[in-house]
Amino acid sequence: MMPFMTSKDLLAEPVPFFVSCSNTTTEANKTGSWRFLQPRYARKTAPCSAACPAGEDIARVEMLACKGRLEEAVQIILRENPFPSVCGRVCFHPCEGVCNRGKFDEPVSVRQIERFLGDKALESGKNHTPVAARSNGKRVAVLGGGPAGLSAGYFFVQLGFECELFEAAAEPGGLLRWGIPRYRLPEDVLREEIRRIERLGLVIHCRSPFSEEDLKELQKRWDALFLACGHGCGIRLGIPGEAYADDGLAFLSRVRSGSLLPMTGKAAVIGGGNTAVDVARSLRRFGLDPVIVYRRTRRDMPAFAHEVAMAVDEGVELMELTAPLSIIEEPGGLLLNLQKMRVSDRRFDGRSRVIPDGGRVETLRVQKVFTAIGAVPAHAWQVPPKDRNRILTLSHCTLVDGETPMVFGGDLNNIRKSVADAVASGKQAAMALDTLFHKGRAAIQDRLAPCRLGDGPALSMEIFTGGRRKENHPHVVSYEDLNPDYFEPSPRAAPGILAVEKRVEGFAEVESTLAAPAAALEAGRCFNCGTCNDCDNCRLFCPEMAVTVENLRQIDLQYCKGCGICVVECPRCAMVLQEETA
Amino acid sequence: MRQVMEGSHAVSEAVRLARVQVVSAYPITPQTHIVEALSEFCAEGAMNARFICVESEHSAMAAVIGACTAGVRAFTATSSHGLALMHELLHWASAARLPIVMAEVNRALGPGWNIWMDQTDSLAQRDTGWIQLYCEDGQEVLDTTLQAFRLAENVHLPVMVVLDAFFLSHTHEPVNLPSQDEVDRFLPPFLPRITLDVENPYALNQMSPPNVYMEMRHNIQAAMEQVPGRFDLVDKEFSSIFGRSYGSVETVCCDDANTVLVVSGTAAGTCRHVISQLRLRGEKVGMLKIKMFRPFPADRVRSVLGNVEKVAVVDRNFSFGASGIFAQELRAALCALDQRPQIFGYIAGLGGRDVTTETFEEIYLRTRQSDRPESESIWVGLSSKEREP
Repeated sequence: MMPFMTSKDLLAEPVPFFVSCSNTTTEANKTGSWRFLQPRYARKTAPCSAACPAGEDIARVEMLACKGRLEEAVQIILRENPFPSVCGRVCFHPCEGVCNRGKFDEPVSVRQIERFLGDKALESGKNHTPVAARSNGKRVAVLGGGPAGLSAGYFFVQLGFECELFEAAAEPGGLLRWGIPRYRLPEDVLREEIRRIERLGLVIHCRSPFSEEDLKELQKRWDALFLACGHGCGIRLGIPGEAYADDGLAFLSRVRSGSLLPMTGKAAVIGGGNTAVDVARSLRRFGLDPVIVYRRTRRDMPAFAHEVAMAVDEGVELMELTAPLSIIEEPGGLLLNLQKMRVSDRRFDGRSRVIPDGGRVETLRVQKVFTAIGAVPAHAWQVPPKDRNRILTLSHCTLVDGETPMVFGGDLNNIRKSVADAVASGKQAAMALDTLFHKGRAAIQDRLAPCRLGDGPALSMEIFTGGRRKENHPHVVSYEDLNPDYFEPSPRAAPGILAVEKRVEGFAEVESTLAAPAAALEAGRCFNCGTCNDCDNCRLFCPEMAVTVENLRQIDLQYCKGCGICVVECPRCAMVLQEETA
Repeated sequence: MRQVMEGSHAVSEAVRLARVQVVSAYPITPQTHIVEALSEFCAEGAMNARFICVESEHSAMAAVIGACTAGVRAFTATSSHGLALMHELLHWASAARLPIVMAEVNRALGPGWNIWMDQTDSLAQRDTGWIQLYCEDGQEVLDTTLQAFRLAENVHLPVMVVLDAFFLSHTHEPVNLPSQDEVDRFLPPFLPRITLDVENPYALNQMSPPNVYMEMRHNIQAAMEQVPGRFDLVDKEFSSIFGRSYGSVETVCCDDANTVLVVSGTAAGTCRHVISQLRLRGEKVGMLKIKMFRPFPADRVRSVLGNVEKVAVVDRNFSFGASGIFAQELRAALCALDQRPQIFGYIAGLGGRDVTTETFEEIYLRTRQSDRPESESIWVGLSSKEREP
């Protein structure tokens, strides 16, 4: 019989209690023996990098920038592109068009961050790039001081070439110096970035134009030549009275050199590219009333949409679906006869095809007409030859083999005429010639192929020179590869824009550089596709505590059972899960 | 202090007074008011507790399991589909011997989609190792919640405090709200038997091979067997402080009754009234209210019903392919007796249908007029034609 208990006594008696509990560790349980799949840290290619002609390691740059590691971020950019401040202002930023964040809220403002970092680098006055490696004993001459020639020189000296650059104009920079107005790209920014290339060892000779005969002389004196003479000659309209029209590029050049005669009144600018818009916006700043006359519609204009929008804001008039027929001189100005056009159909890429709209014609009375419908090379010898036996055609340059190898690059060669493509051209030329001299022509394609980022043409100098990036997985990270549960919507950084009234008063820069906190915030919006940013998810989620973080993250294979949780929880696809190999 | 409050808030107030340290819950009608009030208590500082928001009831139960394993008093509340989603972790909580308290608002499971009162949700969890206590009114639900913590922490088993959807959860009644001092006298701080300790790390609830698993299961039952006795003591202590007690079962007019109606939940209130009316007419009828369903107080039930002629069990639930679940339990409890009453199983008030005084009178009269039940389950108040699609 149970002894009598008061309620308190019985409640104080413990009930039977048996749970499994062990104070030994689970170290003896080598769960790694269960594994047949193995997770690995694997940096992959972000879509922005694959789309960037200069092949910048954007995901890594943003990761460093967001953590305030600006010096490193700058160094990473400068490995691939000598012009972050320039590109941060004028690049057409294809990176942003393919940004995975665009599928989430708005793309990261990669260009604004590049500009911020480029300006920081200039402020520091440092080179940020190792000075030329030991000389490789080869001497190369660069003809043309535009972005392609300057980039080629930048990469040549880094690969150990002795390199000198010859520029016809009074100052290097090419289109950057003479074709893009100051309100988009101030001289000091360009000059400082060129100065940095000179500090690395590139010798620049200005006012050094060359003829076809001089070229033969150069071939004797140098081991190789790089030609990037650009498109020096504006395309003609081919209409009666064209002689009364001024060339748009020549006008922009005169604006930059300060040798412009005073003008007033109304001006017509014929064309729809960036040059046409630059001419119109510059004219506006001189107090003229510019009208852009374009044969297709506004959405077909090759000019950047935001530049067109700013031009319209500044009071530039836009005449769409209008083509010039003739220019007639009149007392006090010019009479422009115009044919109205209409859209007949659309091309596969969405651009309109236009045809004359019956007999609809108009006239426009102006003081000046400018043409900006494109440009062509000034001389035939500047164009890469078509002789298939002697040439090697690469994505951004053409190598002509011979006693003195010649590489043609820049706008002379590139299908897309952009600064970033010019940089790509110089980089590819440096890689091609380096390979040619070290391993021979036959080795070039094989040597360059692994330097490609994703499936695009962009090449990485970091990979070429054996940097960390060479370990990267070529897979281009798609939005579906990411784990967006870990991201929160946030607005894209907007740069400061000068008020319209201030803009048209002069040539002050329209857009301002992001302030440091805004730049860090914007860099933090980057998903860092394929790049580990130490978010620690893999370690936090690992059920076996098999992720260790000392200097770098590692997986302890004694305990990793291959469950793959780390790979799934990695927000940015910086890991892979692979079948265990015996 | 006597005040008018909703049944849901009687739970919330009890949880506040119990000085619960972690609340984790996912809202579901008709449980929402309980956790809404708790989240406000946590936000206002009326409770010194963490409210952990989760994305599902499965996670809510996982969170309170974690909290309780770490040695703090934890509470959650749910209903119907939410409880069903917790099923896996209900087993975990009891086998890990965690004294979690959960308010479970009886609601029907869909489809047909139905948010109203039905006991099948909680009764479907009868084999998970949780103590189940059913409540009749607002006062009982407040008192039972306080008792639940005391009981759970004494026997190291989780307790489900069960209340009817809307009839109780959303009905305002006068309720005596005890003072914090009184509650503190009744309910000491939680002293875990075993708890996670970063200073002295060990693993809990790891692999238990066949040579121990069966003993661990037997051990849970050994603790369960002590529950009715210990609940009586807890109830007695509660009574000494608050002046109210409930018992694992309650009998009304059963001493000389030849017919006893067996009920649970708010239907007991209606049934009480019917019993008093029938008694006035000289009917020898009584009522057995079952408060504790798990562990099933079979001894008490046997001692009350052993000498009764007929028993009418009113089930607001159904086990398809069998019968009403309270009826099953009663049959199992009484079949060991040499002489057993006739057991009539009635199914009534599913999915929120009212169980009225007329319902009970009909049940009583049918039982009185039949020698034996016409079938294992008698469905009360079905409309004459079932709808065909």
